[in-house]
Amino acid sequence: MKRLAVSVDGDTRESLAKKQLQSKANSLLNAQNVDIKTLKGFVQLLKDTPHNMPASEVMNTLEVIFKNLLKRKAIEANEKQGLKIQELYEETWLLLMENLLADSESSGALKVCMQLIKVEAKHPIAPKKGWPIHRIRGILETLINADATPTTALTNYGKYCKNLDVLEMTLKLLKSLVPCEDFKDIPIKAMNFLSIVNLLDMGKSVLSTADYHVESAKNQSFNYEENRKRLNELWLTIMAKGNEVDERLHRQILVVLLERVINHLDDPIQLTDFLMDSLHQFDGPIALLALQGIFTLMQKQNITYPDVYEKLYNMFYPRMFYNKYKARLFYLADIFLTSTHLPENLVAAFVKRLARLALQSPTEDAVIMIRFVCNLLLRHTGLQKLIRASHASDEVSDPYNETETDPVKSDAINSSLWEITLLQKHVVPEVANAARFINSSLPVIEFDLAPLLDRKECNIFDDELQSKAKQFALNYERPTNLALPKNEFVTKYWDLI
Amino acid sequence: MRKTRYKTMVAKGKKASADAVYAKKTIKSANPFDNSTAQSSKRGNPFDVHVNKEKFKILGRICKHDRGMPGVSRAKALQKRAQTLGQQFAVKHKTNRFKDNRIGKHLSGDQLTESVMNARYLAEKMSQVRSNQKAEKFNLNDDELLTHRGQTLEEIEQYRDERSDDEELDDEALDADFTAAAHFGGEGDSAQDRQAAIDEMIVEQKRRKNEIAKEKDEVYDLTEKLDANYKHLLPLVAKATKDEQDPKPPPDAYDKLLKEMIFEPRGSVADKLINPDELVKQEAARLEKLENERLRRMRADGEEDEEASIAKPKHRSADDLDDGYFLAVEDDEGDDTLAYDLDGNLGTHLNGKKELKAEGNENEDNDEEGEEEENEDSDQESDSEVDNLSDLKESDSESEQEEAPKASKKKAKKSENTIPASLDTSIPFTIKMPKTYDDFTELLSKHATAQKATIIERIIKCNHPKLEGVNRDNVVKLYSFLLQYLKDSFEDANEQEIREHFQLLSKLMPHFYELTQLNPERMSNTLLEVIKEKNGEFRKNHKMYASLETLVYFKLVANLYSTSDFRHPVVTPCFIFMQHVLSRSRVRTRQEISMGLFLVTVILEFVSQSKRLVPAVFNFLQGIVHMSIPKRDVEQLEITPPFERDGPLSKLLALPANQECTKLKPQQLQPSDLVTQTITPDFKVRALDTSLLLIKEALQLVEEHVGACYLAKPFLRLLSRLPLESYPEHVHLHHKEATELVEKLAAQKMKLLAPAAKKPKALRLLEPRFEPVYDDKRRPKMSKAKEERAKLLHKIKREKKGAIREIRRDTAFVQELKLKQTLKSDKERHEKVKRIYQEASVQQGELNELARAKKKKKF
Repeated sequence: MKRLAVSVDGDTRESLAKKQLQSKANSLLNAQNVDIKTLKGFVQLLKDTPHNMPASEVMNTLEVIFKNLLKRKAIEANEKQGLKIQELYEETWLLLMENLLADSESSGALKVCMQLIKVEAKHPIAPKKGWPIHRIRGILETLINADATPTTALTNYGKYCKNLDVLEMTLKLLKSLVPCEDFKDIPIKAMNFLSIVNLLDMGKSVLSTADYHVESAKNQSFNYEENRKRLNELWLTIMAKGNEVDERLHRQILVVLLERVINHLDDPIQLTDFLMDSLHQFDGPIALLALQGIFTLMQKQNITYPDVYEKLYNMFYPRMFYNKYKARLFYLADIFLTSTHLPENLVAAFVKRLARLALQSPTEDAVIMIRFVCNLLLRHTGLQKLIRASHASDEVSDPYNETETDPVKSDAINSSLWEITLLQKHVVPEVANAARFINSSLPVIEFDLAPLLDRKECNIFDDELQSKAKQFALNYERPTNLALPKNEFVTKYWDLI
Repeated sequence: MRKTRYKTMVAKGKKASADAVYAKKTIKSANPFDNSTAQSSKRGNPFDVHVNKEKFKILGRICKHDRGMPGVSRAKALQKRAQTLGQQFAVKHKTNRFKDNRIGKHLSGDQLTESVMNARYLAEKMSQVRSNQKAEKFNLNDDELLTHRGQTLEEIEQYRDERSDDEELDDEALDADFTAAAHFGGEGDSAQDRQAAIDEMIVEQKRRKNEIAKEKDEVYDLTEKLDANYKHLLPLVAKATKDEQDPKPPPDAYDKLLKEMIFEPRGSVADKLINPDELVKQEAARLEKLENERLRRMRADGEEDEEASIAKPKHRSADDLDDGYFLAVEDDEGDDTLAYDLDGNLGTHLNGKKELKAEGNENEDNDEEGEEEENEDSDQESDSEVDNLSDLKESDSESEQEEAPKASKKKAKKSENTIPASLDTSIPFTIKMPKTYDDFTELLSKHATAQKATIIERIIKCNHPKLEGVNRDNVVKLYSFLLQYLKDSFEDANEQEIREHFQLLSKLMPHFYELTQLNPERMSNTLLEVIKEKNGEFRKNHKMYASLETLVYFKLVANLYSTSDFRHPVVTPCFIFMQHVLSRSRVRTRQEISMGLFLVTVILEFVSQSKRLVPAVFNFLQGIVHMSIPKRDVEQLEITPPFERDGPLSKLLALPANQECTKLKPQQLQPSDLVTQTITPDFKVRALDTSLLLIKEALQLVEEHVGACYLAKPFLRLLSRLPLESYPEHVHLHHKEATELVEKLAAQKMKLLAPAAKKPKALRLLEPRFEPVYDDKRRPKMSKAKEERAKLLHKIKREKKGAIREIRRDTAFVQELKLKQTLKSDKERHEKVKRIYQEASVQQGELNELARAKKKKKF
């Protein structure tokens, strides 16, 4: 982290300071009475964060000190001293909250916080009892009120949310923490809020692992039904606030809905309107996410939606390779087109469009689409006439109309997959080989698209470097200057020499 | 032919045919003995042959016993018995035996060859030596002394007087003067008496004899001496042949001519200087081989198989009708075959391409010719300058590469360029390999661009791996230094320097090539490492263009490697990298636009031979045209990222309506474009113009592929939107050309995809299978084992019968012998008895006569 930045010289000094810090803390703890001044010095150190002292070290030391103090019940022991210590303790918490938002320190700070919470739950400070809910509240408030989305802190907090007690606490608290204003007025806050909601995973795997952050919390076990109710209420408030939000927030709401909420909703049918609106008003990622939601509804609630294929069809356009939800789109399309009872001309339109797009797409997507086309041909055997025309006819120009938005009317069924033949000439061997499937008999089993969806251009580059064949074939004609002996282009169009 | 002959036969007339028929009949009806006589003259008597009559002729049965010669076989059997049984019978009851122990005792007559006789003789001799010469029993040298007339050859040698051989018998006769004087009366005036004269003569004769003898002795001594000396001299004069010792007459004209003719070469020498024509031929063959290899690599593994399988069927059945049923696919292949045009240039290109390049080729040819002449001139010049060492070096390097005339030609071209540089004597001729990169840059920084190349060349020459083993590492080091140097010079080049750097790169290109040839694997790995590193840098932020030196490395790859391969360890990663850059990096400035265009040109070079498809190139060119179209704010023209659909970046290259650039001259893209950020109107025109040309080139490359229309169509919509009014004339022209080509391609018609027609499967032809069925009613059916046994029993029975017969015949033979013996002895006895009787009767007769005579006397 920060250490890497400082030079070797500073490094030694740092370690020296660290040792000093530790010995100081030890002496403080070993003393009969707590030396308020030294303790204050530590807190001050965290406040000032001097240059030679990384904040994380100070935080760790403070963690050790306060853990011990909490265990000793020192905070309540001596009236006057206890109060002082408590004051300092609260101050430390405030400082920790500050650090939580600093990107480099957030993981350390969060760790210290959670450790302190653990100890405090065991040895609660006098008036409060049990779980220190207010601490969590503090953390959540800090996160929500941050000026920019604190991504690292959020991911770290997400790890703690895997513990059922933390999960429950957060759910409880979030309801009261919902910002009063509408989301469209406070986009950053809303974003932070939604990101926190996005951390609440009530999936089966989390429930079955049943981890608890605090040992004692195990006694009152996690009640799914109750929490589900809480989540439902939370969702209702979100829906109430989330009108006319901007695209980013809308996307986030949809992501939260799809990833975390939809499976636990009492009455998902109510979502239909929301999803339909999202689908029709937006295109690109939002529409895609909405489509996924609709798909879930179709699966679970048996709703019918007439134009879903047309929508899906129109989501395939060249720009889509460059958005984040590309893999999701392929995944969805694969599922939507699984049925073998779809009309052939519809699927043919998809096949043609995919093939057409493969001619414009980056390498990794071209491979996916070729495989996808092959899968579709396998599923719908009638479509094999796209590559095996039965009657030999004259030369024609492609009857497929790519500008037609209705896939059924695109006349793809009368076309042929010339795109795949062209792709056999692709410069990347992987694509060319994939496109060769039309030459021989089709494979028996469908290709598994899942491993392909996560591939990047870099992976293909690395794969190519690892290929074993190391035959460095050279040009046999000696270039005398920048130009190639024949077929030079660079020197033809550039005035370089 | 046959028919006509038949006709003539018919026409010969009835008689002839009747004769033929008759002849046939006679042959058929002739008895079998005729046949046997006709076959060979050895079988003399037809009555010796016995014919076994066959009741039924059975097809396929070989009959061995149809005829036999009882007389002959009986005689054979008899003879055999006589030799075996007869012999045994003869020695029956006899105790002594005759034993033949000679070598080859079983051989007879002709078989007794010389070698056998020699062996016998030797064995005999040895046994003699062993048995007789007991005295030499202990002689270790086993050799025999050879003798001649009782004397050993050694003794004879010792006493041999060589003089005796050539001792001429002196004529004892009196000489002519004396006879003339003494005989026949002689001169009358001889005062001395005869006796005195004779005495005198005798004395004279003796004196003369003594003299001669003395002389001879002397001569003998001398020869002895000479001989002794000669033996010493012998090794010295051994080589001198006899006729060489003779003094030779001075050669005349004829001799000279003869000698010349003798020494004139009669056959061609193996490695003579090859004349230019052959050189060209060799080079063409070499190029053809390399080109074929390249084509093979260019095809994908599967593609090749498919093409091959279509071209010729893998299997031809024996009853293939050979009716050319297979689809003729040769037309396609014709495109790829190698061909040379009239000038002998390699014309591996497809027809369309040839047309394309026709203009350029002509120009190039002309240029080349001109240059050749210039080269010759320059060569002559360099010849005249004898002390120009660098030229000598050049020629050395030329001779190294003699096998490639083309290369040497180019080399000559290069030498012409470098002459001014190499004339510079400030550069030492041997340059040590710098130890560190700093030393290397220091060395180069002292000199101008042109000299830098010379320095590199000399370093390579001095550190050629053939000279020393260490140099193998040195050249790799040099290569990495050069790469580093390129990086340093291009990394932050400014507007002024950039052209110079490109010039340096151009000069260095042949050296890069040479270095790579020295050790392809290590050099390639070095380059690959560098590219990998660059890719790592690029990955960190793929929205930013890769650095300029990366593009330069790509250009280097294009020049050094065979980029047309289907899969290549260096080229394929480069392809992926370049595509990645083109499809992801943002295009916002002049530098980024020109870098993209540079990448596009490099990629086109990569695929110029393989004609493969690189989608990113088409996307990028569309993007450039898209940027040149001025758009109103609301309207959106679809375009693939990284280009913006709308906003200011979407019309970066569009000329403002009020601006007029119609007067700009056609211009290539400038190196300075690669380093400047601000977009000027002339750059806008330049970029669009080049893109239009590149669109044409790129589409021409993929023109033959099925589905090229899909690549052309998107351009159609963009090109039609381009407002041309404010552009200069040449842009109009290029736009028109590009549009024409795009329209042509977009209207491409294709055949529906269908798998290649397969040969209908022929029905399998089965061989008829025959099984022997034995259902003879006379014999009961048996199992196989039983049948086998029955067969064996039958055989045994027959063999037994035969054996019994043989034994019976043997007994008969022996009985006959016995009978003969008995008869013979009886006869002998009978004769003896008869003789005794005869003698007795004669005796009796004599007695009777004596008795009668006594009686008479009595009476």
